Amino acid sequence: MENLKPLPKVNADTRQFWDGCKSHELRFQKCTDCGHIRWPASIICPLCHSDNTKWIVASGKGKVFTFVVYHEAYHPAFEGDLPYVVAIVELQEGQHFLTNIVGCDPGEVRCEMPVEVIWEDVTAEFSLPKFKPAQ
Amino acid sequence: MLEAGLCNYVVISYGDNPLSAGGMPSVFMERAGNEAIFGHSGATAGYALAARRAMHTFRTGPETWKHIAVGQRKWANLNPKAMMYGRTMSFEDYYNSRSLVEPFRLFDNCLITDGGRAYVVTSVERARDLARPPAVIMGMGQHNPSYDVQQATHLAGSTGAKIAGETAFKMAGVSVHDLDACEIYDCFTYTVEITLQDYGFFGPGEGQDWFKDGRIEPGGSMPVNTSGGQLSEAYFMGLTPLTEAVMQLMGRCGKRQLGPQTNTKVPEIILCNDNGGILQTHCCNILRRL
Repeated sequence: MENLKPLPKVNADTRQFWDGCKSHELRFQKCTDCGHIRWPASIICPLCHSDNTKWIVASGKGKVFTFVVYHEAYHPAFEGDLPYVVAIVELQEGQHFLTNIVGCDPGEVRCEMPVEVIWEDVTAEFSLPKFKPAQ
Repeated sequence: MLEAGLCNYVVISYGDNPLSAGGMPSVFMERAGNEAIFGHSGATAGYALAARRAMHTFRTGPETWKHIAVGQRKWANLNPKAMMYGRTMSFEDYYNSRSLVEPFRLFDNCLITDGGRAYVVTSVERARDLARPPAVIMGMGQHNPSYDVQQATHLAGSTGAKIAGETAFKMAGVSVHDLDACEIYDCFTYTVEITLQDYGFFGPGEGQDWFKDGRIEPGGSMPVNTSGGQLSEAYFMGLTPLTEAVMQLMGRCGKRQLGPQTNTKVPEIILCNDNGGILQTHCCNILRRL
């Protein structure tokens, strides 16, 4: 049996986000009381606890906050990708997002390196936001 | 409960068989949620993200961590119960261990162990009658930054160790200079560095010099993880450091016993701690011999 990579688990909080990804848009919740932009999606703002929220579209630009290079696959479906980079990207809008850095050698990735989103359409339903070095 | 008279003795225990059951990786992958879609799961990668941020923030990396891995192994070589008792480690061995999730090598990682530990808490009054001098709690502190690694900004410090440590030191009425040894929760080498740094043993990045020349090893001026710790003895969560602190103070540690035979001071006061999640919870205990 083919060993498939896991797909996003969508719930009522994250549906807007994954629908956005399908249209290649990075959508996040912004608290309309304190202005905090948050991820992961949730019903209340983690800073001020307000439930007044609107969805914004992020620029898709940011910089690498931190990163690691996997040399061992803990899920067999990722064995073919080794070595691969998992990073936490600090988006221009302020929030952090865990993702992959692609489009460069893992040895070239650095903290604070400018990156931008690149979309990987994995199924008809799901597109994954990954990041590559900014042009 | 003890002070309220609800009970006379409390046993705190831990036991698990993750080595023979092979459960750890699958448990981590199940819990990974939407991080798994990017091939991310587990504690090694989580702490490696923290360690990489630390490497960007101050002077640290394998040059610092090798002293922790090798120093603790020397303690394990004196401990017949340690999983790594018969296996020595040189700096070369450390550098040659395979890369798992960079910047971590295999020897930056703790062990996976079948087994368990337990300790008994009772009143000082009851403990006075015991055959060996018991360990007494001088101070304790907790601090839980709680933010998931993805949103955390404390990965390179200050971690929960800072406030938990300050609280425990204040309650105990002592400082780092009064400690005879430390038993530090050491899921990874970097965890030991950032914990001691946040307790105030050295400034950011000064660990590379502080750990040099065997400071934490047998014969060193600040013994750390004297059983070999989770890196080289056994992984029993917070009970690896805590039970070792208690046994050292009670004088039950055989060849690795702190005192003349390991060319160290007979211990009066030992700090031990626990840490959870990816640097998300922290508990610090300062114990002394009665």
